[in-house]
Amino acid sequence: MIEALRTTAFRWALGIALWSISLSLLLLAFVYWQTGTFVQAELAHRLRHELRYVAAEPGAAVSRLEIWLGEDLHNVRFAGLFGPDGAKLIGNLDALPLGLSPDGEVHRIGTPVMIAGRRLREELWMAASRLADGRTLVVAHDTDEIDRANATVLRALILALGPVLVLSGLGGFLLAARARRRVKATQEAIAQVRRGDLNQRLPVRGADDEFDRLAQDVNGMLAEIARLMEEVRSVGDAIAHDLRTPLTRLRARLERSRTGAHSLAELEEVIDQSLVWLDQTLSIITAILRIGEIQHKHRCAAFSRVDVAQVLAEAAELYEPIAEDKSIRICVEVTHPLPFLTGDRDLLFEAVTNLIDNAVKFTPACGLVRLEVSRRGAICILAVEDTGPGIPPAERDQVFRRFYRAEPARHTVGNGLGLGLIAAIVELHGFQAVITDAPGGGCRFEILCPTTIDRGALHTAAVISA
Amino acid sequence: MARLLLIEDDAETAEEVLGDLRNRGHVVHWEASGPTGRTAAVGGAWDALIIDRMLPGCDGLTVLQALRGAGDQTPALLLSALTDVDERIRGLRMGGDDYLTKPFALGELAARIEALLRRPVDADATILRVGTLEIDLITGIGHRGQRTLDLLPRELKLLIYLMRRPGQVVTRAMLFEEVWNYSFVPKSNLIDVHVGRLRRKLEAAGERSLIHSVRGLGFTLISDD
Repeated sequence: MIEALRTTAFRWALGIALWSISLSLLLLAFVYWQTGTFVQAELAHRLRHELRYVAAEPGAAVSRLEIWLGEDLHNVRFAGLFGPDGAKLIGNLDALPLGLSPDGEVHRIGTPVMIAGRRLREELWMAASRLADGRTLVVAHDTDEIDRANATVLRALILALGPVLVLSGLGGFLLAARARRRVKATQEAIAQVRRGDLNQRLPVRGADDEFDRLAQDVNGMLAEIARLMEEVRSVGDAIAHDLRTPLTRLRARLERSRTGAHSLAELEEVIDQSLVWLDQTLSIITAILRIGEIQHKHRCAAFSRVDVAQVLAEAAELYEPIAEDKSIRICVEVTHPLPFLTGDRDLLFEAVTNLIDNAVKFTPACGLVRLEVSRRGAICILAVEDTGPGIPPAERDQVFRRFYRAEPARHTVGNGLGLGLIAAIVELHGFQAVITDAPGGGCRFEILCPTTIDRGALHTAAVISA
Repeated sequence: MARLLLIEDDAETAEEVLGDLRNRGHVVHWEASGPTGRTAAVGGAWDALIIDRMLPGCDGLTVLQALRGAGDQTPALLLSALTDVDERIRGLRMGGDDYLTKPFALGELAARIEALLRRPVDADATILRVGTLEIDLITGIGHRGQRTLDLLPRELKLLIYLMRRPGQVVTRAMLFEEVWNYSFVPKSNLIDVHVGRLRRKLEAAGERSLIHSVRGLGFTLISDD
């Protein structure tokens, strides 16, 4: 229970209860004040009316006063007619009360009066007026009635406050308990997630309130985490597999040649082959580490203006001899003017060479690898097209994951890390990589680079041929 | 034969490096920590230093910086497990003459040490000559004997790099760094194809071979006279 007192829900409930109580109190105070004012105004009105009525005809003043007093059964009315010298002519007031000005307005004044033969000091509401003949007329009324009315209203209000307190407290408690139950269910679900059950989801009541929306967001996040964990696991498996294959081969070879080799030359050959396999294994590890480095780094500090057309031309030049050996032509098309890109020249070059490497690898002899830089609005497009087998649309999303290789590519040399590396580089730059069909039937990789158009940055590079 | 100082904390790596460099005829001294390495570097007359980037006691870069600060210009090669390009740039900026990422082939290290020991020849010459091969650096025109060579710009750059280091082993990674100015390791046979092309142009008229492959490592340009 003490713990319950500390919960946010409870404090909120308490706050709500206090707030509603304050509101009720304020409302009641207002009603009380308004009732008092109304009763008092009513009385003042009656007194002023009577005063005017009696004073209207000085000749009939005495009889009118007597009638007014005569109607009073409860000894609440007082009146007096006083001569110009202040002597009492008629009425149940002994003397002209001190401090009462004959202005016709109603004042509350304490004064001694005679009631049922006893002299009492009473609080009276009274009004006075001087008649034309010099006499002063006073009419007055007991304040008890107003005080009683006020007291009654106050008592009623105080009595009503009790239930208000109880009801708002109860309401707050119920609300708090309900919120607490939902929080508790959520907490239990989260505790299970923390224990490692990533398939656990937070309860959603279907009410589409804030709580539900929050729970849905968290559930979405959990699903994404579960997906990533699965991916990491499968990447781990893939890495282990890719490393184990050459290492197993290597081990067997070494073991066999330790006893089987007949000459030093034979042994040297085995060692050379082993070194090649080891280098392959190391290159896989290096590539994985590089992807990790690129993904985790905030290289933006090393970003500078990069001439993409030049990067593309240099990459094409680098691959030109190897393509020529396969009778593949590499051509570069640049549409001017081009904006400078902000980026890391080395990494962009690495990304482009990886794309060209793939393109050359998958393009059959006498094919064409086309490199293109163009601009579509504020977006600079780097594209590499080939006339190879292409990538089925269903597999395009997966291509950029580490270690993925489209089925037909399995028999081609490579460790499947090239595209993972490209994805990491593209992501680091805030670019986007897209795979489409090339017009020639092969595959078209596009790197979309959003640039801020700056007229001054547009440049015209030398005509490029590869 | 050169006097070399190796500052490397991993005993097994050090042992392999020591063995290999001693086999190649160098005198190598080994220190396993930053502070002792620094003392040894200041005390001895070394031809080159090999400094591991991460050392116990004191970082390899700090050792190097201290030496350079004291006016010591002994060529230094940094070894590091960090493959990051930025790390490499930092290492070179702090006074390193070369930077090699672990794991490395022993031959690669030896080739790079060799390159540090034998600074490029004819730095001021306008004409480079190796045997019957000649390049005019001002016109950029090369000759093999009387025959004029038809070289692409990159091939010219590659040939100049090789001619400045005659008889020296030049690795693929070194070529990619120095001739192409990119510092990641390219796919294995890219450089070979470029060198192969250049080689064919040099030997087009049936001349003797100038560029020789060094198995598993790189290339070397050997004079034909």
